[in-house]
Amino acid sequence: MRKLLFYVPLVLFLALALFLLSGLFSNPMERESATTDKPLPAFNLPDLMNPALRWQPEQLKGETFLLNVWGTWCPTCNAELSYMTQLREQGVKIIGLYYVLPVDPLLGESFDLAALQADVSNKLQQRGNPYQFNILDADRSLSLDLGVSGAPETFIIDSEGIVRAHHIGDINPQVWRNKLAPLYQQWRQLDGGSS
Amino acid sequence: MIAEYGQLALTFALVLAVLLAAVPLYGSFSGNQRALLQAKPLAIGLFIFCLLAKLALVHAFLNSDFTVINVATNSSSILPWYYQITASFGSHEGSMLLWILMLAGWTALVAIFSKGLPLLMQGRILGVLGLINIGFIAFSLFMSNPFARSLPFYPVEGMDLNPLLQDFGMIIHPPLLYMGYVGFAVSFAFAIAALIGGKFDSTWARWARPWTLAAWLFLTLGIMFGSWWAYHELGWGGWWFWDPVENASFLPWLVGTALIHSLAVTEKRGTFKSWTVLLALGAFSLSLVGAFLVRSGVLVSVHSFAADPDRGIFLLVFLLLVIGGSLALYASRMNSVRSQARYQLFSREVMLWGNNVFLLTATLVVFLGTLFPLFHKELGLGTISIGEPFFNQMFYYLTIPFALLLGLGPWVRWKQQPVKPLLGPLSLIAVASLVLALGTLAAMQSVQANLALLGLLLGAWVGVSALYELYQRLSQFGSVTKGAFKLHASHYGMTIAHIGFAVLVVGVAMTKTYSVERDVRMQVNDSISLAGYQFTLLDVYPLEGANYGGEAAEIAVHNTKGRLISQLHAEKRFYTIQRTVMTESAVHARLSRDLYVSLGEALPGNAWALRLYVKPFVRWIWLGGLLMALGAAVALLDKRYRRTGPKVAAANKMEATDA
Repeated sequence: MRKLLFYVPLVLFLALALFLLSGLFSNPMERESATTDKPLPAFNLPDLMNPALRWQPEQLKGETFLLNVWGTWCPTCNAELSYMTQLREQGVKIIGLYYVLPVDPLLGESFDLAALQADVSNKLQQRGNPYQFNILDADRSLSLDLGVSGAPETFIIDSEGIVRAHHIGDINPQVWRNKLAPLYQQWRQLDGGSS
Repeated sequence: MIAEYGQLALTFALVLAVLLAAVPLYGSFSGNQRALLQAKPLAIGLFIFCLLAKLALVHAFLNSDFTVINVATNSSSILPWYYQITASFGSHEGSMLLWILMLAGWTALVAIFSKGLPLLMQGRILGVLGLINIGFIAFSLFMSNPFARSLPFYPVEGMDLNPLLQDFGMIIHPPLLYMGYVGFAVSFAFAIAALIGGKFDSTWARWARPWTLAAWLFLTLGIMFGSWWAYHELGWGGWWFWDPVENASFLPWLVGTALIHSLAVTEKRGTFKSWTVLLALGAFSLSLVGAFLVRSGVLVSVHSFAADPDRGIFLLVFLLLVIGGSLALYASRMNSVRSQARYQLFSREVMLWGNNVFLLTATLVVFLGTLFPLFHKELGLGTISIGEPFFNQMFYYLTIPFALLLGLGPWVRWKQQPVKPLLGPLSLIAVASLVLALGTLAAMQSVQANLALLGLLLGAWVGVSALYELYQRLSQFGSVTKGAFKLHASHYGMTIAHIGFAVLVVGVAMTKTYSVERDVRMQVNDSISLAGYQFTLLDVYPLEGANYGGEAAEIAVHNTKGRLISQLHAEKRFYTIQRTVMTESAVHARLSRDLYVSLGEALPGNAWALRLYVKPFVRWIWLGGLLMALGAAVALLDKRYRRTGPKVAAANKMEATDA
């Protein structure tokens, strides 16, 4: 009995090794994404520059596009503007989802749309404007439904309005070439087939 | 060309490691004296070639040789030279080479400083270290070559070092940590040598003690600097995150701490034999498991290197050979061991047994907490994560009995301790701790039953007990001044390390209880008061660094009387090549509290988001770690560790004449 006791560490270690082995072949970063391969959540949100205009999922169907969650308050978002503008010039359709920072009511501040519009057009003039248009997510409801954890994040939405990919972080030449471009091209090619 | 020389040097090192593993071990089994004598020159040669390889890599970084893939992906020509050197161990490949250099360094040190050991033991120990060296050098050469070239198509500029790593912390944290991890390989080799020989008398424990202490010293410093670095670099004022990789460094530390104490029992009393050997195997095994977790991509962490299943497989096979092999050897050899020593329930042995039980329980908690998400997922139960609350709560419950025991332990004698003589001093200590704890809180005008009170009580109990025990021990020599020279250095070391633990407990409890933080929106000249300090945003201006731009803020801090305490300088950097934003928080540090400011995003309307913290006693956390490391360093000075066998008597005589 006492003899067997000394084998316990070995047995425990071998069991651990089995788990580690199986762990090697699964990706820990992979989260069960709440949104991919599902249609865009329902929304009815105003256009940033022209609030009278409202956007709904139906209006975005027909062509694969990138939905880019951003804000002028986010330096990384600002940094990716110029490269995304190049992508727009190459024919990539990008729609912005403007993420408004939570306003702290304690500080006596109210949401000022005119100031925001000025800020945005100023920024886009400086850095380049990659967007067809911007959807204003003033209470961040669509961002929440999409599972956005921080800006910038980008979704690839196909012509049927189904979310096909979710990228967290900025878009730079490397990310585009290695990760997003292949996916975008793949869904883009299907656009023709369905129409 | 230099990079190729580096690769060549590493290849030679591999050959030397193979020889180091083969020749002395052959000698130890055949009794061939000449083969055993080869161990020392082989070990030193191995170190020299590893050093040459490392220097070649540093040379490539300093010269921005972007034809080397490792340099191109982790450095840039505009990176300051000292970060170019640190970038040489900033990647998986480079850090592996640093790991190897440290391992070869320890191997060479063992070869040089083990003159007092029997030749047979030397050969076994160095042979085992040679085997471990083979594994890591082969891994580096074949699976993650730091010298790989990208010719003929190479970039004209590098991708720069990850901005998080461009910090003083990066210069010291990894080398210290690796010295610790790898240092446990020496304890491991001693244990294996003892297993091969089948002799577990107190000698192997006496030989292994200083090496274990040295490794533990480095690991303690490494973890401590890592915590301090995270605190000032990540910008959210935390000092420990229970991140899987932090836990991976904490596990060998916990087992190493248990090992230090268990080795004392084995050396002094010849008992706990099989347990001590298991701990020696365990400390290094957990270092290896940690290396696997970081480098295989099995867990998600801020520290992880890029995942690659091939590397993971190699490391796993290596783990199976080293850990599985050593545990199999352990199981087959250990059933013949019997401990003869007898001891009573109230004795030093039982106290240290308690120490081991708590440390091992803590190890188990951290281990399961870290790996449970993996188990859960691989059993098909879906993804979950285990966060801070679990660990914090478990450590809360573990620390209380552990600290109580720690205050008691040093007073208790080996074999048996009558209770009565201790009642006097212990009640004195208890009263003193109560007065100290309540007095501190009264001075802060916040006497209430909270975590801070508990932490102060436990800290004072451990600290006062350690000091009083030292005083009492010194008086036994006749007078305290006389005793001060006669007492062994290892006893001072123990006292200092225990006080370090007390300081750490106080720091954690006070910081957790009394820290205040606020996220604020500020315009220039806005003022906000927090915990009796007035923070005023004086200015925000653009920043121009070598490889970054961004913004800097000047914040003045006044106390309630309106006196200026400090002007803080916080930065928000944007690193142009890596396109990453980094906060450089500003800290005004005092023993009693830190003022901590980090600059956030620019907000609409010429305002900035700022995060302000007042963190009482946070310095005590690192001070505690430093004291523990200092304790280990002082203990290492103990002359007993450097002399063996008949020389000990001579040493004792010399000590007498010195004093």
